[in-house]
Amino acid sequence: MHNTLIIAKREYLERVRQRSFVIMTFFIPLLVIGSSVLPAMLATRGSNTPKHIVVVAAERGTAEAIRSRIEQHQDEDQAASPAPGVDKKRGLPSTHFTVDVSTDLSDAARTGLTQKVSQKQLDGFLWAAPSDISARKLTFVTRDLSSLVDNAVLGQQVSDALRREALKSKGLKEGDIDAALEPVNVEAQSPLGKNAPDPQKMVVATLTMVLVMYMTVLLYGINVMRSILEEKTSRIMEVMLSTATAKEMMAGKILGVGAVGLTQVGIWAAAAGVFAIYGVASTGAMNVVRDVLNPTLLIYFGVFFLLGYILYSTLCAAIGSMVNSEQEAQQMQFLVMMPMILSIVFIVSILQNPNSGIALFGSFFPFTAPLVMFTRIAVQGQAGELWWQIALSIALMIGTIYAMVWLCGRIYRVGILMYGKKPTLPEILKWIKYA
Amino acid sequence: MQTIELNKVRKCYDQFVAVNDLSFGIEQGRVFGLLGPNGAGKTSTIRMMIGITVPDSGQINLFGKPFARKALNKIGYLPEERGLYKKMKIIDQLVFLGELRGMTNAASRQKAMDWCKRLEIDAWVEKKVEELSKGMQQKIQFIASLLHDPDFIIMDEPFFGLDPVNATLLKDVMLDLKKQGKTILFSTHRMDQVEKLCDSICLINRGTAVLQGDLKTIKSQYGKNNVQIEYEGNGDFLDKNPLVSAYNNYGNYVEVRLAPGADAQQLLRMVADRSRVNKFELMEPSLEEIFINTVGKTDA
Repeated sequence: MHNTLIIAKREYLERVRQRSFVIMTFFIPLLVIGSSVLPAMLATRGSNTPKHIVVVAAERGTAEAIRSRIEQHQDEDQAASPAPGVDKKRGLPSTHFTVDVSTDLSDAARTGLTQKVSQKQLDGFLWAAPSDISARKLTFVTRDLSSLVDNAVLGQQVSDALRREALKSKGLKEGDIDAALEPVNVEAQSPLGKNAPDPQKMVVATLTMVLVMYMTVLLYGINVMRSILEEKTSRIMEVMLSTATAKEMMAGKILGVGAVGLTQVGIWAAAAGVFAIYGVASTGAMNVVRDVLNPTLLIYFGVFFLLGYILYSTLCAAIGSMVNSEQEAQQMQFLVMMPMILSIVFIVSILQNPNSGIALFGSFFPFTAPLVMFTRIAVQGQAGELWWQIALSIALMIGTIYAMVWLCGRIYRVGILMYGKKPTLPEILKWIKYA
Repeated sequence: MQTIELNKVRKCYDQFVAVNDLSFGIEQGRVFGLLGPNGAGKTSTIRMMIGITVPDSGQINLFGKPFARKALNKIGYLPEERGLYKKMKIIDQLVFLGELRGMTNAASRQKAMDWCKRLEIDAWVEKKVEELSKGMQQKIQFIASLLHDPDFIIMDEPFFGLDPVNATLLKDVMLDLKKQGKTILFSTHRMDQVEKLCDSICLINRGTAVLQGDLKTIKSQYGKNNVQIEYEGNGDFLDKNPLVSAYNNYGNYVEVRLAPGADAQQLLRMVADRSRVNKFELMEPSLEEIFINTVGKTDA
C-alpha cells in the first residue's frame, strides 16, 4: 500500500505539473461547448440576404394567400424574437423571402423560371398547379436543397396558407380559422410536478455531463496506457520491480492518473459553479445548475465516472503492458474503446426511450453501464423502480472490475518484462496462467 | 552468514528451461561473479533473487531466511536494462526511488546529493534525464541502486557503455563498498572486466552451473599452462606445433595454451630461434579462457 501511494503521488505530481494538463483543462470545456453550442448557433443564424422566390398558382388569390402567409410569418417573427432571424416559438430560424406571384402555369413559363433559378436570377419558385394542390404535393425548385430549415419553414407556411384557403372556401370567418388552427402546446412533465427540472435544460445538462464523462474516461484511460508504455520503453520497469510488485505499480498508476482526472473534473465543476453564480448570463445558467445539477446527481456522476475509469484504465494498463509501440497500442485501444463509443452513439436513442431493451442492456453491460446508466438516472431521476437497476448496474461493474484487475494484473505482470514482438492471443492466455 | 543462497532453483518458460536446478551461495562481504554468455540464464536467476519472478521449484534464502519481500529494501539492484523516467528531474527521480525503498523524503534527498557529489554530477541534479549523456544516466542509475545503503548489491553488466574514466570511478566505489562489508554480485558476459574484482564465481551456461567456487582455487586448478609471448618476426611456430594446443593472436602479442605435458622452456627456445622475444611470461589462464574451455567441453 505504501509503495502504491508513492507511485500514485509521483504520477499525480508529474502529470499536474505538465503544461499539457493546464492546456487540456482549458481546452476540453471549449471543445465540449464548441461541439454542442457552436453548430446550433451557426445553424440558427440563417442567411442574411433575403431570398427572392416566385409563387405560381392558377388563381391569383391562392398565390397571394401564400405570399401573405410567408410575409406575415416574417413580421410575427420580427415582432416576437429578441434576436433577429430566430423564431422564438419554434426555435426555428427564418430567412427573409421576397415573394412575387404569377398565374402563368404554362410549360414555357416553368422552363423560363427553372432557367432563372439555374442562372441565379431567382432563388426559387413554388409550383402550385391545381392538380398538385389536390394531390397535396407541391414542388419548390431551388438551388439551396440543403437549406433544410428554410425549406421546412416555407413548406409549413405554404401548407398553412392552403389550409386557410380551403377553410375560407367553406365559408369560415378569418377569426374562426385562426382559432381552429392555433397550435396546442403539449408540455412534458415529470411525475415530480413543478419541482422537476425543465426538460430541455435537463437534456442539455445530461448530455454535457455524459460527454465530459466520456472524454475524461477515454482520455485518462489512454493516459494510463501511454504512461505504462512509456515506462516500458524507457526500461524503468525492472528498477521499480525490484522494490514494488507489479500489482502495486499498476494500482499506483491507475490511482495517480485517476486523481489527475478527478482534479480536472473538479476544476471544471468549480469553474462552472463560479461561472454560474457570477457569470454574465447568470440567471439562466444558475437555473440550469440549480435545477439539474443537484448533489445526488453529482454523486452519481462521481460514482459512475470512477467505476468507468477504473474499469477502462485497468484494461488500458493491460494493453500498455502488452504492446511495444504507440502504433500497436492504437490498434488495440480502439477495440477496447468500442463499447464507450457505442454508448455515445446510442445515447440519443436512450434519451428518447430510457426504458427500452437496448437501454436496459446498456445499463447492465459493465462496459457501457457508466454512460448509459448515468444518462438514465439523470433523465428519470432516482425515484421508483430504478433503484434496483442502479444497484445491479453498480454491482455488476464492481464484479467486473474485480475480475479485470485480476486478469489484467496477470497480463501486466508478464507483459511489462516482455520486449520485442507483439504477443499473440495464445501467448497472452499463457501469461495469465503463469504462477 | 550467507547473504543469499540458491538451492536447486529452477525456472521454465514454456518448454524452455531458463534456469536448471541452480545452486550457489554468497558469503557476506564477498564479491561474486555470475558469469555466462548471453542467454545463459543470468538475468532470469537475478529476477528470482529479487522476487520479480517466482521459481518453479527450489528455494531462495535471503540474509539467512527464506525469501520475503521485506528483505528487498536491503538489496540494491542495477538492472541490465537501464531505465529512468526521461522527463523527470534527476533529483526528483532519485528521491522517488529512495522513497520506494522506505526512506523518508529528506533522507533520500540528502543521500542523493551526497552520491551525486561523489560521482561528480551534482551540477546536473536539476536537469531532466533526457538532457543527460548515456554515461551520466548510467551514473544516476548506479546511484539509484545504492541510495538506500543496501547490504547486498546486484549489478547486471555494470560497466556496459562506460568510458574508462567512469568505469574506474565506479570500480573504486565498488571496492569501497566491499571494504564496508557489503556483498556484491556482478553478472556479466564480459569476464575480463570483473575478473580482478571477484572473490568467487559461478559460470553458467544454458541455465546450468558449469563451474563454480573460489576464483583463486579455480585458477590454480587450471595451473600455469598459459604463455604470453611478445615477439618480432616469424610467427609460423604457432601452427602445427605439438607444444601448442591452442593460441589466441592479439596482434601485439599472442597467448598460447600449452599442450598437456609440454615444456614451456622448449617453446621459448623454439621461438627465440626464429624471432626476437621481447616478453615471455607464464601465467594463469584468464577467466574467459577457462570459460571458453569449460563451456566448450559441456557443449561437446
